[in-house]
Amino acid sequence: MTRERAVEWVSPLLTAVNWTVLGYVVVLDLAMLLLVVTGARRLVANRRWTGAQGLDQVFASPLTPAVSILVPAHDEEAGILDMLSAALSQRYPAYEVIVVDDGSTDRTFELMAEKYQLAPVTARPTATTQVDGAVLSVHRAGTGDPLTVVRKVSVGRRSDALNAAINLARHPLICMIDADSLLEPEGLLKVARAFVEDPVNVVGAGGSIRPANGALTDRGAVIEPRLSPRWTVRIQAVEYLRSFLLSRTSWAQADAMLIISGAFGMFRRDLVVEVGGLDPLSLAEDAELVVTLQEYLRREGRPHKMVFVPETVCWTEVPETWAVLGKQRRRWSQGLAQLLWKNKRMIGNPRYGAIGVLAMPFYLVFELLGPVVELVGLLSVVVSAALGILDLGTAAVMVGFALAVGTLLAVTVVAVEEFVFHRYRRGRELAALLAAGILENVGFRQVHSWFRLRGLAAALMRREPVWTAMPRTGFTTAEPDALAPSR
Amino acid sequence: MNAVPGAAMVATTALAALVVLLLLAVAGEHARRNRQVARELARRARLTPLVHDLLDGEPIDGDDALDPLLDEMVLDLLPQLRGSDRDTLTALLLERGVVDRATEELGHRAAWRRGRAVTLLGNAASPRHTPLLAELLGDPVADVRCAAARALGKTGDPAAIGPLLSALVADRPVTAGVVGMAVLDIGTPALPELRRALGAPSTVVQQMAATVLGLHGDPLASHALTTTVADPAAVPELRCAAAEALGRIGMPSATATLCAVLDAGRRPALQRAAATALGRICDPAGLDALVVGLGSPDRDVRATCAEALTASGPAGRRRLAARDSGTDATPAPRPREAQAAR
Repeated sequence: MTRERAVEWVSPLLTAVNWTVLGYVVVLDLAMLLLVVTGARRLVANRRWTGAQGLDQVFASPLTPAVSILVPAHDEEAGILDMLSAALSQRYPAYEVIVVDDGSTDRTFELMAEKYQLAPVTARPTATTQVDGAVLSVHRAGTGDPLTVVRKVSVGRRSDALNAAINLARHPLICMIDADSLLEPEGLLKVARAFVEDPVNVVGAGGSIRPANGALTDRGAVIEPRLSPRWTVRIQAVEYLRSFLLSRTSWAQADAMLIISGAFGMFRRDLVVEVGGLDPLSLAEDAELVVTLQEYLRREGRPHKMVFVPETVCWTEVPETWAVLGKQRRRWSQGLAQLLWKNKRMIGNPRYGAIGVLAMPFYLVFELLGPVVELVGLLSVVVSAALGILDLGTAAVMVGFALAVGTLLAVTVVAVEEFVFHRYRRGRELAALLAAGILENVGFRQVHSWFRLRGLAAALMRREPVWTAMPRTGFTTAEPDALAPSR
Repeated sequence: MNAVPGAAMVATTALAALVVLLLLAVAGEHARRNRQVARELARRARLTPLVHDLLDGEPIDGDDALDPLLDEMVLDLLPQLRGSDRDTLTALLLERGVVDRATEELGHRAAWRRGRAVTLLGNAASPRHTPLLAELLGDPVADVRCAAARALGKTGDPAAIGPLLSALVADRPVTAGVVGMAVLDIGTPALPELRRALGAPSTVVQQMAATVLGLHGDPLASHALTTTVADPAAVPELRCAAAEALGRIGMPSATATLCAVLDAGRRPALQRAAATALGRICDPAGLDALVVGLGSPDRDVRATCAEALTASGPAGRRRLAARDSGTDATPAPRPREAQAAR
């Protein structure tokens, strides 16, 4: 077969692949745009109700259930005390904080022991979910703070530490937060409000997550949100706004919440215990818990409402380097693949409502398989160019169109942030956020796809799930004169 | 395919224009919001002394007195005040026409406007508005219904109890938590109506009444609640709520019924509620049943009985220790939970 014959034969195929991939990218961005716009509408509506949600009544009501805040911690000396300051300053009538020191090799435990005068106590389990790492000791604060610290042997899984905490939790609601996260003072109250107002139907609730890197903090309180000078962090700020705020607001409206972030999620303890706690082998234990609860409760015909409270913010540390970001995203992708495979019977199944028909197919087609399609598209373009069958003018126009859709999506996200929340008071922060949103489409998105692809490959090869700890840098403490006037 | 790149080019140009417009809008909004925040801070600083003057009963005048922000500041302050200060500010809102304007807004097309008006009337806390607010318990928008329930709670008017309880089982219901908080907000004037509600045809209403009566610790409800707990035909959730309420009320007259429920051993949830109630009542007559409960096949019932014995004072703790050391005469196994619970 001559080269011309080969080119003639392969040309229609490559052209079809190129157009399909382009169509896929545009449809993905348009779907995200739809989610963003729907979420934005909800946020605008919520904003109008500010001050009329009855938070004071929830705070004062004897019907408000007590909450156990569960915090898994592994080598968290950089921010553990700030996190505890925030968690122990919650405006909430009754709560306890249970930190599980999961085999830390740094001074995580020593710092807590020193500040809160920890004293050993006898463990008093309230449940028996599976815990593989041995619990070494349980300590309680001697300062009067409602703090319990559990020391255990690490088995390298966050879910194991959380299950250890669940086994000691005493209150009807459990709230899981990360040890590198700062909860806003009314965070617990705003999320628990859903459980207080609708105790029969609500089984889980989550708040939004924002990057804390660069923000000015004081003893665990975010004084002024600011952006980190690192572009990886700035781009993640836009990504978090789009995916963790606006998309989830939309999914929750459609009663199709698939993920309540592990960095800040609240659940009914009795139900979590009933389903056996968190899956010890999952890399996406937060999403796994939501899906397990949904599957179990829908199958049993019991109430299963999951709520998202977009106004509540938990500030968390996000990866600052490509290497750490890569590890995190590979883990997320592998975890998502595990989750979808394990619950494959739910995909497209109307028995599971909007979760089965909308959310799971979306996550399968756009989140999990996205990197595969993008890689195929890239290869196809390269091969087409090599064979001389790529019309560079047409390709440039189509790539430009895809970039324009992506840019519109990013700018819309930042516009919603500005019009609804106006959190970033300095003009340069906003400009940086806009620039990050535009840059996300060039470079970051492609590298991100590569990380996700590797995660998917790890899942397909059934690699042993490994939960890699993220290096922490801690929070930026505000100096008295650090709060520059808004410009 | 030639038409496609052309269309894409046009679409790209349109999208680019949209992006530029959005960027300009964001920049404009950012500048506007910053200016607005700064202006409002300055206005609040100017108006705060006027609010203090109002609370001191002094007349206010000048341009600042006409500032609508003053109304908002007063409304923000109102829920935190009681007594004469609250009355003073409520009278001021009436005088300035704020309450009348809110009443007109109750029929507004936008749900949030109705909701804010309802909240404002709730903060004004006048029983005059009860019928209007009660009507909004049937609003098509759930958020407005909840706001109306909360506002009715703030009025403190016992006439709101009936509509609030009915809202639990209406075609467009208000969630149990919101109704519960509102009924609790009304306070002790609600008790007679709640006692009557224990005989309502709806179990949901009965359950709510039982819970709130328990939280109020109403001794006059004790007899009706005891009857409910003892009634095997009643819905289990209602019996649990009644048992919990009896525990909160703390009358020893309920001990025998609660012991019987604990001994019956058919429903762990009800047994747990009975054990907790016995622990709260602290009646020595309930200790035997709690010690027997330590041998329940249900782990949670055993743990609750151990906790209840611990909560029952020195006598309960002695019985638990005796059971632990094997010197207690009541035949029951020694589960690990009982030891752990101490």
